[in-house]
Amino acid sequence: MAAALSSVVALPSSSLSKPKLSISSLFKYYSLAPSARRPSPPSISCTLTRDPTVQMVDDKETNIRVLQRPDSFGRFGKFGGKYVPETLMHALTELESAFHSLAADEDFQKELDGILRDYVGRESPLYFAERLTDHYKRSNGEGPHIYLKREDLNHTGAHKINNAVAQALLAKRLGKKRIIAETGAGQHGVATATVCARFGLQCIIYMGAQDMERQSLNVFRMRLLGAEVRAVHSGTATLKDATSQAIRDWVTNVESTHYILGSVAGPHPYPMMVREFHAVIGKETRKQAMEKWGGKPDILVACVGGGSNAMGLFHEFVNDTEVRLIGIEAAGFGLDSGKHAATLTKGEVGVLHGAMSYLLQDDDGQIIEPHSISAGLDYPGVGPEHSFLKDIGRAEYYSVTDQEALEAFKRLSRLEGIIPALETSHALAYLEKLCPTLPDGTKLVLNCSGRGDKDVQTAIKYLEV
Amino acid sequence: MINCRLSTGHILPTPTYKSKPCNTGGGGSDVSSLAVLLEEGKFGRYGGKFVPETLISCLSQLEAEFSSIAHDAGFQMELATTLKDYVGRETPLYFAQRLTEYHKRPNGEGPEIYLKREDLNHSGAHKINNAVAQAMLAKRMGRKKVVAATGAGQHGVATAAACARLSLECTIYMGSKDIQKQAHNVSQMKLLGAQVNCVDGTFKDATSEAIRHWVGNLETVFYLSGTVVGPHPCPTMVREFQSVIGKETKKQAMEKWGGKPDVLLACVGSGSNALGLFHEFIGDKDVRLIGVEAAGLGLESGRHSATLSTGEVGVYHGAMSYLLQDQDGQIIGPYSIGVGLEYPSVGPEVSFLKDIKRAEFYTVTDEEALEAFQTLCKLEGIVPALEASHALAFLSKLCPTMANGTRIVVNCSGRGDKDLPTVEGRLKQGMDL
Repeated sequence: MAAALSSVVALPSSSLSKPKLSISSLFKYYSLAPSARRPSPPSISCTLTRDPTVQMVDDKETNIRVLQRPDSFGRFGKFGGKYVPETLMHALTELESAFHSLAADEDFQKELDGILRDYVGRESPLYFAERLTDHYKRSNGEGPHIYLKREDLNHTGAHKINNAVAQALLAKRLGKKRIIAETGAGQHGVATATVCARFGLQCIIYMGAQDMERQSLNVFRMRLLGAEVRAVHSGTATLKDATSQAIRDWVTNVESTHYILGSVAGPHPYPMMVREFHAVIGKETRKQAMEKWGGKPDILVACVGGGSNAMGLFHEFVNDTEVRLIGIEAAGFGLDSGKHAATLTKGEVGVLHGAMSYLLQDDDGQIIEPHSISAGLDYPGVGPEHSFLKDIGRAEYYSVTDQEALEAFKRLSRLEGIIPALETSHALAYLEKLCPTLPDGTKLVLNCSGRGDKDVQTAIKYLEV
Repeated sequence: MINCRLSTGHILPTPTYKSKPCNTGGGGSDVSSLAVLLEEGKFGRYGGKFVPETLISCLSQLEAEFSSIAHDAGFQMELATTLKDYVGRETPLYFAQRLTEYHKRPNGEGPEIYLKREDLNHSGAHKINNAVAQAMLAKRMGRKKVVAATGAGQHGVATAAACARLSLECTIYMGSKDIQKQAHNVSQMKLLGAQVNCVDGTFKDATSEAIRHWVGNLETVFYLSGTVVGPHPCPTMVREFQSVIGKETKKQAMEKWGGKPDVLLACVGSGSNALGLFHEFIGDKDVRLIGVEAAGLGLESGRHSATLSTGEVGVYHGAMSYLLQDQDGQIIGPYSIGVGLEYPSVGPEVSFLKDIKRAEFYTVTDEEALEAFQTLCKLEGIVPALEASHALAFLSKLCPTMANGTRIVVNCSGRGDKDLPTVEGRLKQGMDL
């Protein structure tokens, strides 16, 4: 079974009318010229994905049957998995067992907790946004209570560091001295370079040449932190190409190197691992909600690019079915413009970067270049667990345009004196549509996933300030 | 503003100390601890209220209001919640392991270096501790408008944020030279809804203009001072609001190693972050207090901000203190790569601590600060503000003299995102990288 998994190009189950597959991404692992025309998808089928059963397990605390997320193959329903070259299988298996044993290792947990507290600055507060709440009150004075989970206060200014720090610690435990990562706008690159400096690890960041030009300050920052930033010129010279290059490096240097993936995407065990490392967000939120109002949140709202900050907030509450989970993607110039990153709304199922998930692809299975004013949401795929939560109806996904996000950016700055990241602004923008529908006193927690210092120059250009 | 050489040839009252309970609230009353005696806002001979008559009643009102909040449980609770949920306190006391290793001697001995992480605060520096408290005070006094002056922009950003949150109208004065160097902070202030007024010159000129604005609108405007300078009660008030830094440090040191720090190290521009860290420990004679000023291009070059090392006593912006003045009593324009350290005077309480030798003050050049900036980036993955880098730079001189296991707490007063363009420019000019 394992052999079949690793070598087969799997197609979605036969119930889909038009099987599509992002073969181009798979072939990139074998270094074909990116501009070569692809043949139409071969008709290979795989028994494993046909009608996969969703595994259920007993939740230890509540004894209720809950979904196993993921199952032992790294699948969330039919999504996820390990679509990678044979050379990577051992590394992934090794990583998975290391992760499971460290999760149970008290010393590791204690060291990680200490770093999250003293280095990253956790716990991040659950902040009652009074003026924002007032802003959304209806004329009769009713409306939801809006709380912001302040991931923007973390060291380096976003939630990214939670995962970066834990993976660096994991890498050290595995005896790896060399770290690689990909980055789009540079936020994940900066987080990775940061932790490598802290732990004395060699750091190589792959970045699309186009992105390097647009984000030269972040490139400088990564170099200041001691990282080597390597330009990727293939394809469109952006994030997806940097990711492919990073994967290529890992295949070549798997013995010495750990690949710090920045989001809940990629082959198993990454989606699970990254989610677990970000789950501290939701765990703290549960505790803080209990302290503040003696209950649980009613609604959780988060922006979704790859999906890491959203999974970090949602995961703790997935089995609390009365808690509504809402993810907001980037609609860019609008869903009909073709220039957006609304993967869950407009995408189709396929395989990208080692996992089956929704993705933005054209009729030939080529990746469509996404667009969003916020670089962190500019990913043509999405974490497989989000695809799963969408399909089973556990979480709802909507999208918001660049313009709406910019307005929300300004709104929070003016009302609460907090400049949010443009990514986060997408979640904030959705409040305009959401709040009028909510009963009085609904407790809404929004993940303020990052601060907007990095976006000030962009925003100033578009806003009249 | 009149600069006055009052100190020459006058017999001044000797500084007197009186024991009084430390009203810092930390862990029980230490009745014998030394506290600075204030007579009408004086720290020994420094401080005071050298202001036009029009301001006197306003300052008295401010003083009365400030005294009243000390006993107002509602105000204190709201402030504590704001500091926790909005600002993100407590800030961690972080053991900088790699920096500690770096400063070890060849025999493996050396001090233990801890960083007080004020860089993690909302808006990226310690300035916000004071800004949120004073904004609350302004609201309490019924003022709807706030005016402030800013150098590097951190106080401006903090004030704009604090005002946005409380629906106060905010006007920030900033020097033209500073606006150029810290454009990013200017954009942030505007985004936060503040009006930014450009003043020819630097921070000292912006301060003068802000005070002028205040004097013209005393009934409606609240002047939000950013640092421990100015006429009484400003130095005391700002220090009190920043003293949360030292209070937390005392508690955290006890938790971490069951004792007190041996050395406290902080950069000094006007002195707010330094006093914020030091104040709690002033009565603890076994704790060494070290402040580091900016030597800019070198003390001999004349391009620096080393007020305590090279300055003389005079009156500036309403207080008597050390200041950089020439033979005619004219203010000498200060300079430093750390814009927040560019102030030609220093808080009166800081001058006092120097004179009574309770604290020691040294200087560090632009180059040394730049090097310390890069060192912290590479060793700890923390990008410090150029101001804080001055304190970090002094570790190179200090650590070799420290006994093994000495515990040093450095106030990492701000993060350095705002300084990246400056550092990039300086490094491209042919130094490292």
